[in-house]
Amino acid sequence: MVDATTRFFEDLDRRGYEPLLEKSSGTLRFDLHEGARTTHWLLRIDHGRLQVSQEDLEADTVIGTSPALFDDVVAGREHGLAAVLRGDMTVSGDPRLVVQVERIFPSSPDARGPRRRFQREVR
Amino acid sequence: MAQSNTVRILDGNTFVVSEDTGDIEATPSEPTGLFSLDTRFLSTWVLTVNGDRLNPLSYDDLQYYEARFFLVPGLATHYIDAKLSIIRERSVGGSFREQITILNHDEKPVDLEIRMEAASDFADLFQVKDEILNKKGEIYTEVEPDRLRLGYRRGNFKRETVISSSEPARYDRTGFAYTVHLEPNQHWDTSIDVKTFALGPGGRDLRMGVRAHSTERLALQHDLKEWVANAPKVNSEHDRVASTYRRSLIDLAALRFSPLSLGGAALPAAGLPWFMTMFGRDSILTCLQTLPFTPELSKTTLRILAALQGTRFDDFRDEDPGRILHEMRYGETAAFEEQPHSPYYGSVDATPLFVVLLDEYEKWSGDVALVKELERESRAALKWIDDYADLVGTGYIWYERRNSDTGLENQCWKDSWDSISYRDGRLPPFPRATCELQGYAYDAKLRGARLAREFWGDPDFADQLEREAAELKQRFNRDWWVEDGEYYALALDPDGRHCDVLSSNIGHLLWSGIVDHERAEKIAQHLVGPRLFSGWGVRTLAEGEVRYNPIGYHNGTIWPFDNSFIAWGLRRYGFAEEAATIANGILDAATYFDGRLPEAFGGYQRELTKFPVEYPTACSPQAWSTGTPLLLLRTMLGLEPHEGHLAVEPRLPIGMGRIEVLDIPGRWGRVDAFARGRLDLHKMAD
Repeated sequence: MVDATTRFFEDLDRRGYEPLLEKSSGTLRFDLHEGARTTHWLLRIDHGRLQVSQEDLEADTVIGTSPALFDDVVAGREHGLAAVLRGDMTVSGDPRLVVQVERIFPSSPDARGPRRRFQREVR
Repeated sequence: MAQSNTVRILDGNTFVVSEDTGDIEATPSEPTGLFSLDTRFLSTWVLTVNGDRLNPLSYDDLQYYEARFFLVPGLATHYIDAKLSIIRERSVGGSFREQITILNHDEKPVDLEIRMEAASDFADLFQVKDEILNKKGEIYTEVEPDRLRLGYRRGNFKRETVISSSEPARYDRTGFAYTVHLEPNQHWDTSIDVKTFALGPGGRDLRMGVRAHSTERLALQHDLKEWVANAPKVNSEHDRVASTYRRSLIDLAALRFSPLSLGGAALPAAGLPWFMTMFGRDSILTCLQTLPFTPELSKTTLRILAALQGTRFDDFRDEDPGRILHEMRYGETAAFEEQPHSPYYGSVDATPLFVVLLDEYEKWSGDVALVKELERESRAALKWIDDYADLVGTGYIWYERRNSDTGLENQCWKDSWDSISYRDGRLPPFPRATCELQGYAYDAKLRGARLAREFWGDPDFADQLEREAAELKQRFNRDWWVEDGEYYALALDPDGRHCDVLSSNIGHLLWSGIVDHERAEKIAQHLVGPRLFSGWGVRTLAEGEVRYNPIGYHNGTIWPFDNSFIAWGLRRYGFAEEAATIANGILDAATYFDGRLPEAFGGYQRELTKFPVEYPTACSPQAWSTGTPLLLLRTMLGLEPHEGHLAVEPRLPIGMGRIEVLDIPGRWGRVDAFARGRLDLHKMAD
């Protein structure tokens, strides 16, 4: 079974473009640590154009966390910025890229959104 | 919240609140301390000499980032023949530094035991008014030969206070001490450094590499000088206007705040000291007030709010795609999601006001690049108004929190629980729609239309927005007019019933331009009439309403910022005398606060109290109160960007004398404006 993280990055790579990141450029490396093993994901952003690889190369921003937490973040079950504030996700390098990339994480699967009550017909 | 005898200094969101001795002994009712990142890093900081507490002779808060205390040993209850004086000089700039100097005035030598008690409870800013009994993490203390380390750990969340001294000190678990021998007329000093750390795993600080300016004292001094030099000069025949302006300018410098992770750009935080963080509404309204004087604040505010614009649904944070944030916090309760401020999106006015500010900013600055840069975010904000804010399907902005535990009930600027009521005093059910929100939406659509037509090359979208705005105005004037009172209802309940009280909100409607011309005069009369106008300013709620209370937070007090937008609105509809009446009252009130307008003051009749009664828990300085004199100046001078140049059409009251504003920046370069008081306000009142 493919984990949510792999699906997330493969989806980004397939899409190749994310309008929410059209003002962003730079490289982010996600280091997912589990015991002695670290999985790397490298995201290159060029004005919204995206490229994903699993190379362990130098990056403008490096995000470190556990595979389990990152899985929850990319599935919308955990909140990225709160995780950074808690220290469960670490950031080194340019912090602006984190704030920008955080915006593309999805809604929680349980989110209901605005509670509309259209008792009346709009004309 | 802050007591009147406390002394506060700050840099960004690091600040110290202490007693007038410089001591800190935090209690729930006296929330003093050293704070940074919404966390208290010192809750005890008490200086003694030979076991005696010290008594204050005087203190100076020299600049917003530094203060000096003159002290002598012994208690204030009896006459003191001091043979010793103690001077504490402190500043914040990243870390907290305190220099202690002790002078021996005696003809004999003295031996002194100088001790500082130091401790921290690491309270979250949201907890400082509570008794903290069971913090979820662990507080620890580490005594090292050359420093004292106070810490708090909860999972990977770690905050540390590290205290060191230039003179060797003896550190123990509750503080540090020096043994000093002083000959006659000899003095001794030491410099204490208190560093705050927000550490993640691996010891990295959360704030690494994020600084708007260097935090050395000299750099802060230089930065403040430059800030004042870059702003327009205001000269006035009567000193009060010029000195109020100067006070505001310096307070605005103090209120600049650089959010974490956004590259060091600064925007106005909401208020000192408890609201030194990003607030969508407060930051935007302050920018609108200060645009003619400090336009760079608007640019960074727009960029920062755009960068954090909502992109998804999050019921805990009341986030929707396109929504502009309400408040960001960095403390423990936000980190562990006990509070939703990471960031919280629970306001419904910041989103339309974002578009309003972008358009107003372009009119002044001619910064087309920013309008193009923020096209996507502006479109998303306009879409939010129609797609996600209309909870009832009647074409208005409504609000109802989805986070029913820690979210905000009232998501408009009057955000206290009892601010929205019917005439009989009952509170309406949710969703609620307040009137000023509809004005903001109307204005946002019209301004968005201008941006779309002139800069985004999308005339169809512009036409659509103008059509929607026209329909909204028509609908609003039909649905919100209270016939028997001849004003607009404060709010609608979900069944469309009026919250039919007379409130200051109707003044914002003039500013937004949603008021039908034939009704404007009636609205202007209400605003300067006896039920709303106290002589100092416009009350939040009119005298005679069931919930009216001259010191009711949103039910009768006078908010200077509210008045500045009301005056702007009156001027927009041609009621220059009424605008000047309000400007005059608020600027008069400012003189009673040394030019620093509080958040709010009492709605008592001016003749009754003779001076404005400060609202007991008001935060000061507060950004939008600080911005108020600047917007009032703009309003009275009739400063208006017009086809690439600055139009000046002054309408000043006679008592205001001559006012000149020099070097107003904008697309025209820098220009001057001159005005002389010619309006006879007394004649108008007759």
